[in-house]
Amino acid sequence: MFNLVVKYAAPLKHVPVLPHLFDALLKISSIFSNKYLLDYLDEIENEVLSWEHVALQMHKFGGTQFNFNGKELGHIHGNGLLDILFSRKTKSELMLKYCVNEHHVFKDSGWISFQVKTEVDKKIAIQLLRYSYLAALKNELAA
Amino acid sequence: MESNTHTKSRIYKGILVANLISLVIVGFNKYLIDNLEGNNMGNSSGIFIYSSFIIVPILMGLVCAWYWHPLQLKTSRYIGWSAVASVLAILASFIFLREGFICLIIVSPLIFGFVVTGALVGRIIYRRRNNTLNMSLFGVIFILIAADNFSEHENVNMVSDTILVNAPIDKVWPLVVEYEPITIKENYWLFEIGMPSPVQSTVDGHEVGAGRKCIFSNGYVFEEKMIVYKPNEELTFDIISQPHDPEIMGHIDILRGQFILKDNGDGTTTLIGNSWYKLYVFPVWYFNIWSESITRNVHLRVMEHIKILSEKNV
Repeated sequence: MFNLVVKYAAPLKHVPVLPHLFDALLKISSIFSNKYLLDYLDEIENEVLSWEHVALQMHKFGGTQFNFNGKELGHIHGNGLLDILFSRKTKSELMLKYCVNEHHVFKDSGWISFQVKTEVDKKIAIQLLRYSYLAALKNELAA
Repeated sequence: MESNTHTKSRIYKGILVANLISLVIVGFNKYLIDNLEGNNMGNSSGIFIYSSFIIVPILMGLVCAWYWHPLQLKTSRYIGWSAVASVLAILASFIFLREGFICLIIVSPLIFGFVVTGALVGRIIYRRRNNTLNMSLFGVIFILIAADNFSEHENVNMVSDTILVNAPIDKVWPLVVEYEPITIKENYWLFEIGMPSPVQSTVDGHEVGAGRKCIFSNGYVFEEKMIVYKPNEELTFDIISQPHDPEIMGHIDILRGQFILKDNGDGTTTLIGNSWYKLYVFPVWYFNIWSESITRNVHLRVMEHIKILSEKNV
């Protein structure tokens, strides 16, 4: 369902509120499809928020976005799909190490997608966001 | 124990305040719309602008989240309590706005979806602890509601359906003009749960200007006036009076109906049914889905009946 909407109804993401409605509907449907998913998402959110200088915002195309000093670390959609932007080199390494995929839309980029479904996936998602956080921290210190 | 009581009290307070605010806004909206637009419209009591079903539910969700965010509730509980807030809003509409049962079934997915959206957006926003942003959000919402009140609300749509009748055109035409009561079983779920369905059509003449009556299952009568009467070709009629009750018919006006017949040259007839209607509920993208579905099923019930009777006469 998510892939169909992203593929065929992409222009609708620019309609105000609609991406957030879609994300809310994903969360409602996940109550029936995977009753633990919303708890995993809450736990990921609480863990990442405990890191210094991390804040939340609504992702412009629906979902929860994690920011480090205003710059995006990654975002997670209501169906548990985590998207993070890395360098292409880091992306290749992560694709070998973890079960991460090309981004569901931007395949030829540093973006990765990772589907959270289980407790183990939750820990991997936190780990991936930690990589993103450390990279952002390193960049800030270098600057 | 005390903490549990405090949690529940904040949850209930959120639901109650959100519902009170929505009731005041929707009531005020209706007052304004009835006075601004109602004088020139046939059905002003049934007008609900898009803010009633989108912005107000989002505001309800945001108000709920305002009360709930210090409680650090799980997302699943936000959704569950938003459902409770939505049910209460629907009940309030039933009691205070005297909306009908079917009408409330139709609007409930819209209300629930946007209350949850508002609550989940609020949950994220209030965690930012940015009071300027939080307050400006409410300001934007009130501006949107005001702007919606003073915008023009007009939507006319047409639904067309076609059916093949295995009978010559001269057997079909008399049944298009008037027909005996429909006895076939309802097969559309909204008709099955009580929405009135067409039963019979009668006429008081066979010429332009003659009256026609379309009688519905609960006794509702749509008074019509023929404006085109071309035997074996076209029957077009304007609806000159129709019932306005708390159910869906209070929110839609059927303006015109039309039957077009085409002789296929092989003993069969193509029958086309067209209806034009005006909606008084917004957003159009949502309510058109329902009104098209309902109008289509009214068409098909009548046209299927005409088909059965015509084919029996061959």
